[in-house]
Amino acid sequence: MAPLEPWEKVLVDAEKFLPTDHGQIACVDCHGGVPLPDKDAAHEGLIASPSSEPEKYCGGECHGEQTATYPFALHSTQQGYWTALDTRGGNIPENHPVLEEMFGNHCATCHTTCGECHVAQPQNVGGGLFTGHVFETTPPMTRSCTACHGSRVGNEFLGKNEGIPGDVHFREARMNCIKCHEGADLHGTATDATTTEANRFAGMESPQCVDCHEEAVPGGDENPMHQVHGDKLSCQVCHSVTYTSCDGCHVAVSETSGNPFFETEATYQTFLIGRNPIQSEERPYAYVPVRHVPVAADAYEHYGDNLLPDFNALPTWVYSTPHNIQKNTPQNASCEACHGGNASIFLTADKVKPEEMDANLSVIVEALPPAVTIEQALNAPAMPADHLEHISDACTACHTKGIRNAPLSPENHAAYRDENCSGCHKLEQ
Amino acid sequence: MPKTKTAILLIIALFALTACTSKSPADTATGTEDPAVESTAEAVDSAAPASDECLNCHTDKQRLIDTAAPEPPAETESKGVG
Repeated sequence: MAPLEPWEKVLVDAEKFLPTDHGQIACVDCHGGVPLPDKDAAHEGLIASPSSEPEKYCGGECHGEQTATYPFALHSTQQGYWTALDTRGGNIPENHPVLEEMFGNHCATCHTTCGECHVAQPQNVGGGLFTGHVFETTPPMTRSCTACHGSRVGNEFLGKNEGIPGDVHFREARMNCIKCHEGADLHGTATDATTTEANRFAGMESPQCVDCHEEAVPGGDENPMHQVHGDKLSCQVCHSVTYTSCDGCHVAVSETSGNPFFETEATYQTFLIGRNPIQSEERPYAYVPVRHVPVAADAYEHYGDNLLPDFNALPTWVYSTPHNIQKNTPQNASCEACHGGNASIFLTADKVKPEEMDANLSVIVEALPPAVTIEQALNAPAMPADHLEHISDACTACHTKGIRNAPLSPENHAAYRDENCSGCHKLEQ
Repeated sequence: MPKTKTAILLIIALFALTACTSKSPADTATGTEDPAVESTAEAVDSAAPASDECLNCHTDKQRLIDTAAPEPPAETESKGVG
């Protein structure tokens, strides 16, 4: 996105703006200042970004519903950062002031106001009015959403990673972000600080692929892959392709300019399936694509020593929803792409840095999916419903020895591990 | 009473007929006009201040070019993908 000239950022298009609802409001009602011809005098008391105070300038009768929740929405609170910082930082009170200083220098620039989605480019990409001050109900994707979410989501969705196609929803249907991430999701639902979401993956999965692709739920169509894998794999496991991972981001303040800066050690393309580190009722998948986030144990050492004492409390390979969805992918081309020893697409221990091994124990795949045919999977006897209480992945304890008259598993299952069983032997309904 | 009622009804009818005839054909929206646009334009005319110094400047490209404070080129010391 090319930067705008200073004049271009503040040029109002009277023809387009004045007939709109916002064009009926006197400039000084929102922006303060003094209606005088001299620039300096006119800008006395100027409020460049009124929506920094959303309830005062945007709420009331007009957008009261949105401004009631937005101060507690993730784009406003950036709580996702603090959830990770507090967890890896051990939530040590004496470290908080320096972490807050670090956050203010490097992270807070991602805080988003109403105006940074609806009327102007976000400040952290230089600002500047979208369309001569016309307020856009739907934020322009590349000047708003992917202006911030560009290096990973934006590049993946728009197909800017060399040799990797863009998301089918963009390539084929020209869908923009808002088609899936609706206003209610972005404006939030919390009405006070206590109900602010911990991060973007907290609570209900929204949006879900099956919101539109209703037939893709297990039992919803004839696709045997959906039948077999629908409750074990997130949709992206089969339908996303190579995406970006990063390593070793360190932040500091320049001794020469006094400006905050960052430095990442590496950026590279990966497609790796790992165990779901945040498995829950809302996200029940056993396996998901995992992306390496650029956190490092000494990421904030400029600000102090050992600011992340519980670094291993969270994985560095994290639950991911790559935005480069394809109908056909290398891994869904055949059963053998995953089953039968293809370790290259799984996050196995050899792909994890030794110093990050403990952090990623919940994500590393220990047993690769065994060789299996689709017929075997579809015809496998169901697991009795009363085994629900046994689903602690201890199947082989009984089924290799016949304990409690358990049917013995066949010889060709010898290589199977406990965690493989429920892949084919679905729980009896 | 019946005479009074009749008189009242006649007066009401007279007012109603007067209202119908007072609108000239020129005032009626044609098929090519958008009533919403028309009403919005009227609202702008009545709401916009006679002289808005903010708009005078911020709608004048050349004036903004002449008066905008130059921004130093954004030099970042960051390295790598953010």
